Amino acid sequence: MLKDLISHYRGELQDHTELRAQVNRNRGVALVGGNLVSNSRSEQSGVSARMYKNGVYGFASSAEYSDEIIREVLRAAEENAFFLSSRVKKNRGPLPPLKEGTIKLDREVKDAEQKRYIEFARELDSYIAEKYPKLASRSVNVRCDSMEKLLVVSNGHNSHSLSPRSFIYVTFTLQAADGVPVELYKVFGGGEYFDDVFSTPEKLYDGLEELYNALVQKAEGVYPDAGYKQVVMHPNLAGILAHEAVGHTVEADLVLGGSVAAHNLNKQVASEIVTMVDFAHTALGETAPLPIYVDDEGTLCEDAVLIKDGILVGYMNSRETANHFGMKPAGNARAYLFSDEPLIRMRNTAILPGKDKLEDIIASVDDGYYLTETNNGQADMTGEFMFGISMGYEIKNGKLGRAIRDTTISGVAFEMLKTVDMLSDDMIWTCSGMCGKKQPIPVGMGGPAIKCRVNIGGR
Amino acid sequence: MKTNREIAEYTLEALRKAGADHAQCIVSHGNVDELNADSGEFSLMRTLFNSSVSMKVLKDGKKGTASVNKTDKETIDNAVKDCIAAAESSVADRAESIAELEKNEHFVVGVVEPDRDKLFDRLQEYLQDVSKEYPKVVIEQLISSFTRASTLLMNTNGVVYEYDYGGYDLSSMFSASEGEKSSSFVGYGGDFENLDNKLIDFGMMRILLEESEKQLDTKPVEGKFAGKIVITPACLDSILMVIFRNFISDTMLINGTSMWKDSLGKKVASDKLSVSTVPLDKRVVCGERFTAEGYRSENMDIIKDGVLKNFMLSQYGANKTGFTRAKNLSYNFAVQPGDESHDEIIRSIDRGILLNRFSGGMPSVNGDFSGVAKNSFLIENGKVTAPISETMISGNLADMLNNVIAVSADTVCDGVSILPWIAFDGITISGK
Repeated sequence: MLKDLISHYRGELQDHTELRAQVNRNRGVALVGGNLVSNSRSEQSGVSARMYKNGVYGFASSAEYSDEIIREVLRAAEENAFFLSSRVKKNRGPLPPLKEGTIKLDREVKDAEQKRYIEFARELDSYIAEKYPKLASRSVNVRCDSMEKLLVVSNGHNSHSLSPRSFIYVTFTLQAADGVPVELYKVFGGGEYFDDVFSTPEKLYDGLEELYNALVQKAEGVYPDAGYKQVVMHPNLAGILAHEAVGHTVEADLVLGGSVAAHNLNKQVASEIVTMVDFAHTALGETAPLPIYVDDEGTLCEDAVLIKDGILVGYMNSRETANHFGMKPAGNARAYLFSDEPLIRMRNTAILPGKDKLEDIIASVDDGYYLTETNNGQADMTGEFMFGISMGYEIKNGKLGRAIRDTTISGVAFEMLKTVDMLSDDMIWTCSGMCGKKQPIPVGMGGPAIKCRVNIGGR
Repeated sequence: MKTNREIAEYTLEALRKAGADHAQCIVSHGNVDELNADSGEFSLMRTLFNSSVSMKVLKDGKKGTASVNKTDKETIDNAVKDCIAAAESSVADRAESIAELEKNEHFVVGVVEPDRDKLFDRLQEYLQDVSKEYPKVVIEQLISSFTRASTLLMNTNGVVYEYDYGGYDLSSMFSASEGEKSSSFVGYGGDFENLDNKLIDFGMMRILLEESEKQLDTKPVEGKFAGKIVITPACLDSILMVIFRNFISDTMLINGTSMWKDSLGKKVASDKLSVSTVPLDKRVVCGERFTAEGYRSENMDIIKDGVLKNFMLSQYGANKTGFTRAKNLSYNFAVQPGDESHDEIIRSIDRGILLNRFSGGMPSVNGDFSGVAKNSFLIENGKVTAPISETMISGNLADMLNNVIAVSADTVCDGVSILPWIAFDGITISGK
């Protein structure tokens, strides 16, 4: 656990200053075709300070962590704030004060030995090799990370937090009859320590069987017909839709940069069955996949409602952008490493479930696609988005047809969301994603099955 | 322990004492000074004091690695324990090795001290230039930093490489905005050694700023057709990276799924295409001088006149597959220029797309790809006409390389790569 060398500086912090000590731990094991190609443990830790002065920030960090270094980091952050403030002369006043308090650490730091990851991965890999001899290649990739933060602020909430994640990525490749290798992967795990998620490899066998069966169908699959199509997105895709297509455009820093959301506040941007929320720590009565209680500016976290009944009602803010827009900050300013400054980031972003049954949604489509897995996604300020689709099926006359090969879908968020006419009554959360902005950051995302219209790539 | 050398010697000795048969250690110290502007206004100045120690050990043929970002004895001793424990629980693999001693060297590249005031002045000038010359453009985010670092690699075979370098980088993210209309963002930047030139004149910056304003009134391409694409230098880098990761990287060759695994020395592309990785090229800023495995870097041909010359394999990948190790592991690409200017190439195209950015899914193992043409324009009858949106392109990366129409004579260097415009045929283009 992080030693607290910073709390006693609180009384000395000038203007608005954040002082943060942090450690990020990464553990990785990768088996490719049974070969152990990666076996690593890494730790990045240190201390940083950020000071707000007349509308600009000064920041400094050091990997070393001692009283002497903390003083040096505070001095360098102040010097940077003064340098920039003197050159820019924005002369803006202080930020509105935050509610004060302290959130203490409520869980213990755990760290499994490397042996545990390797043995688990090898056992799983041996099972796969024996059970699925027709695979052209296989890989088992264990990735565990954790982020422990100790935050002291001149105004706001001090906190000590810990967020672990543990995942196993299993990738299979099959040689299709037409000679083309086809690939599919599945992620197991969640926002907990390894031993809390993975007890025995046997527990993953059903998931492996699903992965293999889907891949066999994909190997026999067809290329989709390119064009503007009716699709049903599996809940696996709803989260990435919420995050990429909509979420980024309503981050207040991007709104200020000219995103499409800048001119759509309080306007209809989706069909009225669509509601979307960036949850802080508790969603629909349960703990969110990656709960955040205090952000890295010392703001106590609350949910940020973004779209309510199809109307765009809010942005995600830092203290500074909330002040600019006259909104209340909800705790979206988060930093990845000790050496990173807080940026406006999503936390647990989801489209809320609707009232329909998945089978009824599929039955309502005459000619379209059911898209079940995605392997990446991107969007931009205009809301134009793209997702890679790694698994899906044709829908013909309300029934699932042949599987499809890899493709891509695209659309413009606020247009596409208006075509949503059915949402399933269940939802799925994922948290294996890393969102990329200036820094990476772990995020949770979720949603129900969605019926809508998008562009689909194909031959 | 103060110097990189003392830290590396201490670490290797600690690994030996803990039972290592062979070991390697990379120690680095450095500073970063970074200026940020958001929505056209300066917002943040950062100073980072960085350090890192990464170690690799072989014990009974088994590998372990560990890395930390502190250099005190206690942290290193703990990392040594972790590293040895990782090796002990690993699997023996004869392909693992530690680099043999060739000739040790100390490389010094770039500038050592930053000019913080001049960097600020150049960035402020850039913001003012953009605002004056391209008034519809909003610089959503501007990040520029000076990085100075000293890195030392040492192993138990006596290899010692040292690298001291310093240089500037720039990343500018912008879009155009007019009333309620906004264009897709453009991210452009690169590396440079000095502050002698205006940043607005850097690489393709002016072209992209001008095109960004034209992107305010886009429309989807109508229908679906097989056409041509001209990939600009701003987009080519990422496309080459995807192609080579898919066909000639460690993972794809070790697991045997690469479509090019039997193609070394054979034709894989049009004879108009020659691609190299050139970390030692003078135009590349602070390029790789030695690989993370401890081998001295040299420039390397990947494709020469359409023939596949080398794989991008690490020594481990080479030992595993029986092929030769790559002479460098950088992504500093240089594509051999052709004969015509990119304007002449565009004039020869009847129907296609000028592609400035590709937003696509991961390509299939066989190279099939599809995605959205971003910040792009329609080419009709030899002229760049309408800016487009909601337009998808798809094809096969391997087929595409065999369908090169032309490579431009003019190239753009962004301090990372030196790239021309390349026109490809046989791409499926589909609109809404």
